[in-house]
Amino acid sequence: MGAAAKPPVLQLDNIVSGYDGLDVLKGISLTVHAGEFVTVVGPNGHGKSTLLKTISGLVPLRAGQIGIDGQRLSGKPHETAMLGVAHVPQGDMLFAQMSVLENLLMGAYLAPDKAEITRRLDEVYALLPKLADRRNQIASSLSGGERRMVGIGRGLMMGGRILLIDEPSLGLAPLIIDQVYGVIAELSKAGRTVLLVEENPARVEDLADRLHLLDDGAIVWSGKPAELMARDELLATYLGG
Amino acid sequence: MTKTRPMSRSAMSRSARTDLVISLVLIAAAIALPFLVDSRYILGQIVLALFYATIASQWNLLFGFSGIFSLAQMAIFAFGGYATAMLCFYFGWNVWAALVPGALGAVLFSLVVGLACLRLTGVYVALLTLAIAQTMYLLIVTDTECFVMVGSVCRQFTGGAVGFARFGDLGTRALLRAQWLVGNYAIIAVLFALTMVFTYAIVKSPIGLAFRALKDNPDYAVARGVNRFQAQLLVFGISAFFTGLAGGFYAAHFQAIGPGVLSMSQLMFIIAIVVVGGVGTFWGPLVGTVVLVLADELMRESGEFRTLGLGLIIALSVVLMPKGLVGRFGDLVHWLTRRRAKLTDAKPIDSNIVQSPAPAGK
Amino acid sequence: MVDVLMAILVAGFTSGALYALATVGLSLVWGSMGMLNMAHAAMLTLGGYVAFTVITSLGLPIAIGFMGAILVGAVAGAILYFAIVRNLLKNDKSTFEANVMIATVGIGIALENAILLTYGGQPLKQPVSIAGTFRVGPLTLPWQNLLIIAVVVVMMVVVSLALGRTRMGRAIRATAQNRDAAQLMGVAVNRVYLQVLMLSGALAGICGVMVSSMTQLSPPLGNDPMLKAFIMCVVAGLGNLPGAVAAALGLALLESFVQYALGARWGFPSLLFVVIAVLIWRPSGLFGRAEIRRM
Repeated sequence: MGAAAKPPVLQLDNIVSGYDGLDVLKGISLTVHAGEFVTVVGPNGHGKSTLLKTISGLVPLRAGQIGIDGQRLSGKPHETAMLGVAHVPQGDMLFAQMSVLENLLMGAYLAPDKAEITRRLDEVYALLPKLADRRNQIASSLSGGERRMVGIGRGLMMGGRILLIDEPSLGLAPLIIDQVYGVIAELSKAGRTVLLVEENPARVEDLADRLHLLDDGAIVWSGKPAELMARDELLATYLGG
Repeated sequence: MTKTRPMSRSAMSRSARTDLVISLVLIAAAIALPFLVDSRYILGQIVLALFYATIASQWNLLFGFSGIFSLAQMAIFAFGGYATAMLCFYFGWNVWAALVPGALGAVLFSLVVGLACLRLTGVYVALLTLAIAQTMYLLIVTDTECFVMVGSVCRQFTGGAVGFARFGDLGTRALLRAQWLVGNYAIIAVLFALTMVFTYAIVKSPIGLAFRALKDNPDYAVARGVNRFQAQLLVFGISAFFTGLAGGFYAAHFQAIGPGVLSMSQLMFIIAIVVVGGVGTFWGPLVGTVVLVLADELMRESGEFRTLGLGLIIALSVVLMPKGLVGRFGDLVHWLTRRRAKLTDAKPIDSNIVQSPAPAGK
Repeated sequence: MVDVLMAILVAGFTSGALYALATVGLSLVWGSMGMLNMAHAAMLTLGGYVAFTVITSLGLPIAIGFMGAILVGAVAGAILYFAIVRNLLKNDKSTFEANVMIATVGIGIALENAILLTYGGQPLKQPVSIAGTFRVGPLTLPWQNLLIIAVVVVMMVVVSLALGRTRMGRAIRATAQNRDAAQLMGVAVNRVYLQVLMLSGALAGICGVMVSSMTQLSPPLGNDPMLKAFIMCVVAGLGNLPGAVAAALGLALLESFVQYALGARWGFPSLLFVVIAVLIWRPSGLFGRAEIRRM
């Protein structure tokens, strides 16, 4: 990949962040290049969600730098969105009283004009036909899996340079998780740059280009997913086998 | 969530010692006051200020410590005052006999209010209590039916817009003649002191901890075994006793009580006192009273701008000094202590100060 | 008999319309910002006085007076944002609710007294009014009431369209429903807050003009409608706009009936009774959503 010429889509340099008096992330560095699918795995409570929230700006940065296409992020969520970070948050965070369509339209809040919005909407409906069927249904009346799809669709509507996906399998039945990951695989194939956070590395074994293991706020291992799956001791220590 | 440093024995007595020293100084000042003040007007204003401080300290218990934004404080005050006045007026009781029953009546009233607010939080409590206070005001002011005839004058049951007067007094006029105001001052000062002592005891007790738990993290507190309903009713009841008692003394001192005490501006004054002094601090209400009563006196010159000034002071204090004067002072002391500790290389131990991290990336 | 019923209904619907207008402004601000604007009453009053000044003192047409009230209301909302809200938002989020309530109480008092000082305490006649009545069959209806209802209906439609169909409206609703998610979509929530306060201020201005056209113009004008509007918001569940409008109409009719049946002084207490009953049965209001609180 000709990554040497252009700056990476996402670059994290030693970032530190946390809540109240504690630091949850204690110096994380990683890069994501255009078109890559990077995953961060690790036990719960060790900072995976915090990582994505720090990138998108929901959690303030205490130290370090975040760069998108070489441009340094200010940390304010709406400005980060303007620079191309599309965060699909944990638990969906849908607009519960809005319809599916309105949720998607909110995703396109920063879109330049109606034509662009329509174009993106068509793309999303093509990828997620169920959303087209349910477009006027109120978000709070959807099932867990459908809500997850709306969340992803909404993230896609943002256009964006990079898609941050936070634990897409959370709270869903295995069959539904398969469907969700099917969609994610498709959008990765279509060339989207993705940074995904997941508890179970098995799910991303075939999808991810690279994988980082996050433990207690630091990256303890990086490599290809297949390599991790072969290292039983890592699996046992950090991911409970 | 806030973290409190574990207290060492010496630290605990340090803050308690500070409070004790301040109390002794205040008591000395209070005793000396009548000898230093010549003007009747000033002494009278001081008595009024003591009433404000008493009410404010109880509202601080409710809002500052327990996080219950009740706007019914003056209604409870008025209830106590009216109950006392009406017992004297209709049954001919002596004022001193009617004071405690009046206070207890206020407690009952407050418990009813507390019951109504039991499952409510934040804003809803404010609105409900405001509505209750407003209803009480309206029912009194629009009361026009003649309940009794006093001579040829028609008197309403609740006293109507005129209120009650000439139902008795504290007895100081008979006893002290010309110096009756000093006598009243002494009585009210004792009332205030008792209120403060009682409040201090409550705040430092397990009950006080339960109240604080209500405010800081209600769900967490419930999970820890604090019965939220009981605690809420308790604080409504406790804060009402001295408020109602103050109401009774107020009626006795001024020998009159009317719906004017229920006015919005009175309530706002109390709120302003607590906010300016420092919400949730022990000395805040007193500091706030001193500052605002002084400011009020100074603004008395400008007459009409008084209320305008008061409103602006409230708004500005909240925006610029959210922790109030006592809070700011505490910050200053904390900062100085830390600096000194850094210089002497000793570990600072502060029990009053809550550990709060530096805000990141703002 | 029918006359009396009509009179009660007309009075009820008219005051219902007015309360509904006041309620929408409050509910909007509460729903999107979690803020109880205790200065709303004063902003109402301000609108009435601005219209009065423009029409009476400046001699301009009624429509301009109307515009003036809307404009000044919006500006007042903006000032409220920049001077108070923006600063308080920077502090601890958990104390925002109480602090903003207290601060707006102060501003409300200051504003009401500023109006008192400027115009005096004597009640004034609001020139935005139409005298006379018209007949529909056996019924006699005053024009003024019809005007008020018409104005309020128009405003409701405008607000409803603005919130439902425009990008800004959607951003406001999104911020109200999930502030963090809205930020992730690129919504500058602080600007939303400013917009909401300006919108609410404009609505308060119009409401003040209409309320003062029914009664009279005086400095404490806004206090009673605001408190009742609060009650209606609470009954509906703060943040629920259509519910608040429905509650406003329902409670206004109730008030009207009670005042006829038991006397004027029992009107407000009857509202209080309803709100206590509702809150005991449903602490978040009739249509309100109970918030899930994180420990």
